[in-house]
Amino acid sequence: MTDLGELKRGTPGAADPVKALLHRHHDLCRRAVDPLEIAAGLEAHGITDRTAARFRHRDVFSLAEELYARAPRDTDPVPPTTPRAETTRGFARFLLPLLPGALCAGTVIALRQTHGETRLYAAATGILAVTLAVRAVLRRGPLSTPGRTPATTSWTCWLIGYALLGDGLLDAAVTGGPDGLPDGSTGGHWPLATAPALALTLACAPAAWTTHLFTTHARRRLGSSRGLEDFSASVRPVLLGTFVVFLGTLAALLAAASGLLAEPLAFSGTLALGALLFLARLLTVHGFSHAPKVILTITALAQAAALTTVLAARIPGCAALSAPVETLTTTWSPAAVPTLTCGAAALILLIHASRTLSRASAHVAPEQPR
Amino acid sequence: MRIGLLTEGGYPYVSGEGGLWCDRLVRGLDRHEFDVYAFSSGEAQEDAGWVPLPPQVSRVRTAPLWTAEDDGVVYGRRARRHFAEHYAELAAVLCASADSAAAEADRFATALRGLAELAREEGGLVAALRSETAVRALERACRAPGARRTAREARVPDLLEVTAHVERALRPLSLDWYEEDGLGAVDLCHAAAGGVAALPGLLAHHFFGVPLLVTEYGVRLRTHYLTRPDSPPPVRSLLAAFHRGLTAETYRRAAFLTPGNAHARHWQERCGADPAKLRTVYPGMDAAPFAEVGESPESADPHTLVWAGRVEPAKDLVSLLHAFAQIRTREPKARLRIIGGPTGPEGAAYLGHCRALAAHLFPDEADGPHAVGDNPVSFEELGGPGLETPAHAYAGGAVTVLSSVVEGFPTGLIEAMFCARATVSTDVGAVVEAIGGTGLVVPPRNPRALAEACVSLLRDPERRTRLGAAARARALELFTVDQNVSAFHRIYLEIVARTPVRRPVLDGTGDPLPFAAPAEAHVPGHWTDPTPRAVPTWALETPVPATETVR
Repeated sequence: MTDLGELKRGTPGAADPVKALLHRHHDLCRRAVDPLEIAAGLEAHGITDRTAARFRHRDVFSLAEELYARAPRDTDPVPPTTPRAETTRGFARFLLPLLPGALCAGTVIALRQTHGETRLYAAATGILAVTLAVRAVLRRGPLSTPGRTPATTSWTCWLIGYALLGDGLLDAAVTGGPDGLPDGSTGGHWPLATAPALALTLACAPAAWTTHLFTTHARRRLGSSRGLEDFSASVRPVLLGTFVVFLGTLAALLAAASGLLAEPLAFSGTLALGALLFLARLLTVHGFSHAPKVILTITALAQAAALTTVLAARIPGCAALSAPVETLTTTWSPAAVPTLTCGAAALILLIHASRTLSRASAHVAPEQPR
Repeated sequence: MRIGLLTEGGYPYVSGEGGLWCDRLVRGLDRHEFDVYAFSSGEAQEDAGWVPLPPQVSRVRTAPLWTAEDDGVVYGRRARRHFAEHYAELAAVLCASADSAAAEADRFATALRGLAELAREEGGLVAALRSETAVRALERACRAPGARRTAREARVPDLLEVTAHVERALRPLSLDWYEEDGLGAVDLCHAAAGGVAALPGLLAHHFFGVPLLVTEYGVRLRTHYLTRPDSPPPVRSLLAAFHRGLTAETYRRAAFLTPGNAHARHWQERCGADPAKLRTVYPGMDAAPFAEVGESPESADPHTLVWAGRVEPAKDLVSLLHAFAQIRTREPKARLRIIGGPTGPEGAAYLGHCRALAAHLFPDEADGPHAVGDNPVSFEELGGPGLETPAHAYAGGAVTVLSSVVEGFPTGLIEAMFCARATVSTDVGAVVEAIGGTGLVVPPRNPRALAEACVSLLRDPERRTRLGAAARARALELFTVDQNVSAFHRIYLEIVARTPVRRPVLDGTGDPLPFAAPAEAHVPGHWTDPTPRAVPTWALETPVPATETVR
């Protein structure tokens, strides 16, 4: 069994054996936040109640209490935590978001070059390719969501479809048309607005990049701010800045696309739609999927209602139904409907985002399932 | 009796620690009915499936702890206010300085119950615990006057980490187990571990008055202290306060605590458990595989020392090899067999190191100039020829050596005791408690003392036999499965006798019905059913009207 005399001789500093122990377990004692932590650590190093008896203590717990009381406390300020290493690879972050825009440009060129049945096939192929590319962008990289999100795909498709075809349809409907299905050209009785669609798909890239910028910036602020108020105050301008940068890029892209394609500039409607989709995605990426879903649904339903009232006015006795939309269209332009609906929705989402995304709890890194 | 068995990451899953004793307990107590409420610890575990369950397990309900679905409930103003109040209370307890332990324990219990009631009535607790309200409440508590210094230093990432951890720890509150036909229907909750696994038992005690029994083979609080050494001090401090509060509350509410050894018992006493509630129940092991070896101690090679177990640095094989070098100088015929595979990459590296050291210390030796040489130290693995079971491993040697520097409950030592082998072990963990006086004990990290003890046993066969027989007798008395199961059986009966669940039966107007649950209702089987009486077989074939009317 333990020979007390022999062991004590072997310990340096026999007058104060605890001091030697304190020195040996210096790190453990300095970091410990309570005596039990020291006790657990000492036991993990093989110190038992019998060992504690050598230090004139009844058990490990009282030995740990003495160590806790005597250890110099860690008074150094905590170094700010380094931001988490980014796991997204460069391809997903920088190059993949360019794909939808490139494919859409190719589709637009194909539509211009072809006629008749070939044009139909070109359009179908192009839409499929762009859809798959957008899907890939939303699955990987900065615009991907951590978990499952409620499906808003159908409403988003409707909104983009309206940007493509809606203005032409409304215009035609007000003037008594349309007389047939759209033929894929930008002229004719039901014109196709390709410039907004091209600008929006091209804007996938700035959307991904600005989202990444916002996320990393917010994470960095998280590490450096002292309080929650402090954090909110510093993140809100970043959010607004991100939004403005995206909107500016989208406006530039839209102007360029309209110029190149020689189409009328549908500035307000497309900007409002772009802002709406960007904010909805930004919120969804940070885990707030409820509000975007509701807002997107309401917006799409409002646009559908506008179209329906105009078409329903042709039923005998219901002529009054079309009055509001028709007044709007004639006094301003058919673009007034998407501008008003998407603009109002984007404004609501912006206010919502400035409240929710400036919270610290929105920027917790998603939990890794084991 | 209907027992709710609460497990975490073990039984009834195939891969999980502590599954074996739960299985033995459930199979051993086949006269009781078991409802198993299990937490799984990961997706891989869920995919691996369950062990075959005996018929006395009437239902199994599982819940994942590693993920939580947000149920989409959005709180109204009243619920939000209640949540904020309770969470603020909880946060205040976490940040309070450790002066007034009793008052803090009460506040912790109140906050926990408030949150549990909110989750039961309204749902939506997962989202609320992750919300900004929670983070803000925690920040306010950390900045409040009277908060601990470490808590006051908490920064935003620390607050977020603590909130996320508390949310994970409180996930059991959101389960739908706390209903009349769920945990409300059992007579007794038996938590197979402390900490989060005991939380459903705490809530069942609160909602239905179901008594709680907590078994801890390793104290959860201690494990918690050892698992997060790298977090910043505020996080460790706040989380330690949370787990201390939860542990203290569990110990306070439990009807009995059954630590697996004296070490766990000391920790429980230290964390506020009432010594009157503690009943040490040693883990049981199956003695049958060791019976043959244990009853023929003369079969061992008198010059061989055996070490068996999983190879890892905590086992300190280096010290054993150095000790063996000293043994060899005094007993040249001695041999050492090291039996066991490595644990993880660290263990594999350590095993390689030990092999190199053995080759360095002991060159191969041969009996004569024409014989093939051999090393006195051999490294073997279980499952090889002649080593199918642990019993074979211990059978080969006259003395079993345990050289660990850190040890919990030494299972290998108990196996050696079952095999009636004399043992030399280091004084760590629960070794002294397990071995009693039936083996030699030396201080850890002391090769000379280890060598002395081994040599004295190698030279004295009679003492070896005496110690081995005593060890086997002690193990059969204390560490068998029967002992373990019957101890739990007694404790179950004691709990139900002392603190039975009272379920008042109400009539239509809400008044309690006296005598609605007669004593006979507790008799197993239906008491009005015809009991098998000593009736001749010829009497059963013809219907007897008289007995019909009696029934």
